Amino acid sequence: MRLPGRVRLSHLLVLGLPLLLIAGLILGPLLITLAISVFEKKGFWISPAFTLDSYRLFLTGVRLEVLERSFRVAFASTAIMLLIAYPIAYVITLRVRAELTRAFLFLFAVPFLVNYIVRTFAWADILSRTGFVNAALIRLGLIDQPLDWLLFSDFAVYLGLVTAYMPFMIFPIWLSLSGVDRRLLEASWMLGEPPLATFRRVTFPLSLPGVFAAAIFGFVGSFGEVAVSLILGGTGYQLLGNAVASALDVLNYPLAAAISTVATGLMLALLIVWYRLFDIRLLLGKIMGRA
Amino acid sequence: MNENRRVPPLSRRQVLRAGAALGIGAGLAGRHGLLIPQALAAGRTLTIADVGVGDPGGDWSRFEQATGNEVNLVSIGNAPSAVVNQLIAGGGQSTFDVINIVGGMQKPLVDNDLILELDTGRLPNWQGNSYIEQYLAPATPGFQFIGYEDKIYGVPTVLQGDSFAYLPQETGELDSYAALFDPKFKGFVALEDNYTTAGQKTALFLKHSGQAEIEDPADMAPEEVKTVIDFMIEKKKAGQFRVVWSSFEQAVNLITSKEVHVIDCWEPMVFVARDQGHDVVYAAPKEGYLLWAMGAYVVDNPERSEAELADTYALLDFMLGPWYGAKITLLRGYMTNPAAPGYAKAHPDEFSAEEAARVAEITDGVQRKFEQGGTWQNRWPTHVDVYEEEWQRFKAA
Amino acid sequence: MPRAATASRATSALIWAGLGLVLLFLYAPLVPPAIHSFEGAATAGFFRNYAAIFHDERLMRALRTSLAVGLLVALIAPALALLAAEAVRTWRMPRLIIAIMLLPLFVPGISMGLATGLLFQILGIKPSLLTITAVHVLWALPFAFLIVLTVMASFDQVYLEAAYMSGANRVRAFLEVELPQIRQGVVGAAVFSLIISFNETIRTSVVQGGRNTVQTYLWSQYQQVGLSPHLFALMTLIIVITLALIALVALIDWRRRTA
Repeated sequence: MRLPGRVRLSHLLVLGLPLLLIAGLILGPLLITLAISVFEKKGFWISPAFTLDSYRLFLTGVRLEVLERSFRVAFASTAIMLLIAYPIAYVITLRVRAELTRAFLFLFAVPFLVNYIVRTFAWADILSRTGFVNAALIRLGLIDQPLDWLLFSDFAVYLGLVTAYMPFMIFPIWLSLSGVDRRLLEASWMLGEPPLATFRRVTFPLSLPGVFAAAIFGFVGSFGEVAVSLILGGTGYQLLGNAVASALDVLNYPLAAAISTVATGLMLALLIVWYRLFDIRLLLGKIMGRA
Repeated sequence: MNENRRVPPLSRRQVLRAGAALGIGAGLAGRHGLLIPQALAAGRTLTIADVGVGDPGGDWSRFEQATGNEVNLVSIGNAPSAVVNQLIAGGGQSTFDVINIVGGMQKPLVDNDLILELDTGRLPNWQGNSYIEQYLAPATPGFQFIGYEDKIYGVPTVLQGDSFAYLPQETGELDSYAALFDPKFKGFVALEDNYTTAGQKTALFLKHSGQAEIEDPADMAPEEVKTVIDFMIEKKKAGQFRVVWSSFEQAVNLITSKEVHVIDCWEPMVFVARDQGHDVVYAAPKEGYLLWAMGAYVVDNPERSEAELADTYALLDFMLGPWYGAKITLLRGYMTNPAAPGYAKAHPDEFSAEEAARVAEITDGVQRKFEQGGTWQNRWPTHVDVYEEEWQRFKAA
Repeated sequence: MPRAATASRATSALIWAGLGLVLLFLYAPLVPPAIHSFEGAATAGFFRNYAAIFHDERLMRALRTSLAVGLLVALIAPALALLAAEAVRTWRMPRLIIAIMLLPLFVPGISMGLATGLLFQILGIKPSLLTITAVHVLWALPFAFLIVLTVMASFDQVYLEAAYMSGANRVRAFLEVELPQIRQGVVGAAVFSLIISFNETIRTSVVQGGRNTVQTYLWSQYQQVGLSPHLFALMTLIIVITLALIALVALIDWRRRTA
C-alpha cells in the first residue's frame, strides 16, 4: 500500500518520535548496566575501568547454578502453563456464550489484584504442615503425618509460578483463537478433515501469535520471579532475581550488572534463535498485509 | 501530598562522578536539574526514610505542634543496597532529610558522602542519654552503630539484643544456640537469610562450645568464615533446616503455623505471635546475645540551608526524646532511650498503666541482655566479600 | 458438528469441571488473606479491620498514587503499543522493533529499576509521579505491545484498503474501520497494563522518591514489621469490589445480547 511522500514524513514524526523516546528509555538503562558490569568494584561504589572480573566471578562461581536453575524452571513452568492455558482459552472461545466471555476472562484476571507476595504467602499457608491441605488429608485418614514435600520444595515453587502466571496467558491465546475465521474451519470440515486434523492444520497455526505472546509472558514471569523462590522454595533456593538482589546487598554493583547482562544476553540469544527457526510471518499474521 | 519540594537530584560531585564514569562528564558539568530555592520558614515538610521500625504509629503531632513542621515518613528496605540505592540512584539525597536504619553502615555511607557528621551539642536529649555512654562509647563495638572513625554520625533510636525463639510445648525449655543445630529438631529449624545475624550467632555458638577457633565472631577471618559455613552446610545437607526466611511476615508465619519449632529471629516477632495467643518464648542463651542498635542519620544534601538543617536537628532530638522512645518501645518491642519508661509512667493521659508497665518491662529485659553481653552485630565485616561468597555457597549447597 | 447428545453432555460436564478446578486453584490463595482480614473480629467488631483501612494515612496516600499511576499507564501504554504496531506495519522491519519493544522483559526487574533510576539521575530528573509512571509504562509496554500485535495479526488489511478507496485518509480509516475490530485487544491491553502497573513493586521502589505505591508500602511492611490485618482487609475489599464489577459487566453483556 503506497501512500504519497508527504504523508510518509508525518508518519516519521508521529510514529518515530515516541518510539525513539521509548527506545532511549529502554536502551539507556541497558547500556548503563552493561557499562557498570565491566567497572571495577571500588569500596562501596564503582570506578570506571574495563575488567571482566565480575563475569568471571559469576560464571565460574556457585551462582552459575542459579542461572541454570532459573532457565530450567522457566522452561518447564512455561510448558506446563501452556498446556493448561491453551485448552482453557479454547474452551472459552468455543463453549462460553459470547455474552459471558468478557466476564469470564476477567474472572481469570481478578486474582492479580492481590499483591503477588500475599498470594504466594497464601500458598505457603495452605501447603504448610498445619495448613489446609495437610489437615484435610489427615482428617480424611489418607496420611498419618503431614507431607513435608508440599512446601519448600520444587513442587511448591512450580505450583506458585503456574498459578501466578498462567492466567496471564489465557487472554492472548483467546485473542488469537477468537480471531480465527470460522469459515476456514467449516471449509476444512467440508473437505473431509476429521476434527483433530482440522485443529492441527488450521486452528493451531492460526493461534500461534497468541501462543507466542503467552509463552513470552509465562517465561519472563517465571524467569524474573523473586518472591516465589524465597517464600516457597527450600533452604537457599534461589532464582536469578535473588542472585542479583543479594549481589546488590553487598553493594557489588558490577557483579549484579554482570549477572543481569548475562541473563539479558541469553534471552536475546533465545529470541534470535526463535527468529531463525520460525517464520516471523506466523507471528505477525496479517499485520504485514498481503505482500 | 507531602512531597518534599527540595531540589537537585545529585550533588555536582556525584553527577560528575557518575557522568565521568560513563564518559558523559563534560557535558553534564553544567547541569543543575531544576533549581527552585525554598522559602526558609516553618511549615516545611521533613522527610524521613525509615525501615519500618521508626514509625510512631503515624503520630508526629507532638513534633509538628512544637516546631510547626510536618513529617513525611517513607518506607525503605533495610538491606545496605536498598539504602544506598535510594540515596544514590533514587534521588534520596535531595528527598530525604533523615534516614533511620540499623546502624553499622556508616562506612559506605560516609565514604560516599551520603551522611553528615553530627554536632551533638545541638541535641539537648543527647546529653541525658546514659545508654550512649553505657553501650555505645567510642572504642567499644557499640560505637560502630552510631559513629565511624571517632566521629559521631548517628543518633541511637533503638537498642536490642537478638537470640532465637522456640515453642516450649514442642521442644521444652532451651537455653543455647545449640538447639538450632540439634538433630532432635531436624527439619523444624529456620534461620534468617543473613550472615550478619544467623552467621554471627552460629559463630558465637561454635566459639563458645569450642567446636571452632574463632577469635571474634563479629569480624572473622576468611578461614574462620569458611569453618562456620562448612558447619552450616553439613547441617543443611542433613536436613536440619526447613527454610531460611527473609521477611518479618514470613518469620511470624513460621512461628504461628508451627511450621518450625526453633527459629533464629527477632524479638518483635515473638511479641506479635504472643499477641495472637501462641505460646512462644524468646530464648536467653548462655552464649549471649547478638547486640545491635538503630541509628538516625542526617542525609548529606549540600543544597540544604541552615534553617532547614536546624529543623532536621530538631527532628533528631525529638527522636531521642522520651515520648517517641516510649511509643516505639510500645509498638515495636525494642529499647529506646532511658527517659522513656519514666515518661510513660508519668503521663497516664498518653500511656495507660498497662502500656507504661510494658515499656518498663521491655526496657528491663533488654538491659539484662546487654548486661549478659554476647557479640555486637557487625553489618560490614572487614572481609565482607568472603562472607558473601561463603553465604552463597551455603545457599547453593 | 453432529454428535450423540449424551456424549456431548458428558463432555460438557467434564470440561466445566476442569475449568472449575483451575479456577479453584487460582482463587485458593485469596482465601487466607480474607481469613486474616477478620482477625480480632470476634472481640472488636466484624468489620473493624475494614474501617481501619481508611484511618491509615500512608496507605490512603499510597492508594491514590497507585490509582493515579495505574490510570495513566492504562491510557499511555496501549496508545504507544498501537504506535509501535503501526510502525511495524509501515516500516517493515518487524524484527528490530519487536526486539526493542520486548527488551525490558528480558532484564531482571531490580537491575532495570536501578539502571533507570541512575539514568534519571544523570538526566537530572528527580523522582516524582512522572518517574513512577514512566517506569510502569516501560514495564507494561511489552505486554501491551504483544497483545496488540496478537489482535492485529487477525485483522485483514483489505478493510483498510476498502476504506482508502472510499476516500478516507489514514487516521479516519484507522479510527472507523480498524479500531472497532481490534477494540477487544486494545481494551485488553489497557486492562493488562493497569493490572501490571498495580502489581509493580521492585522497579518502583528505586524511583519512588517520597511517594509510596500500595505495593512498595506493602513490601516494606512485609519485610520489616509484618502485615497488619487492615492490609489484608484492603486486598479482600479490592477483590470483592472487582468481582461485583465483573458480575455487573456480565449482566450488562447478557442483557444487551438478549434484548
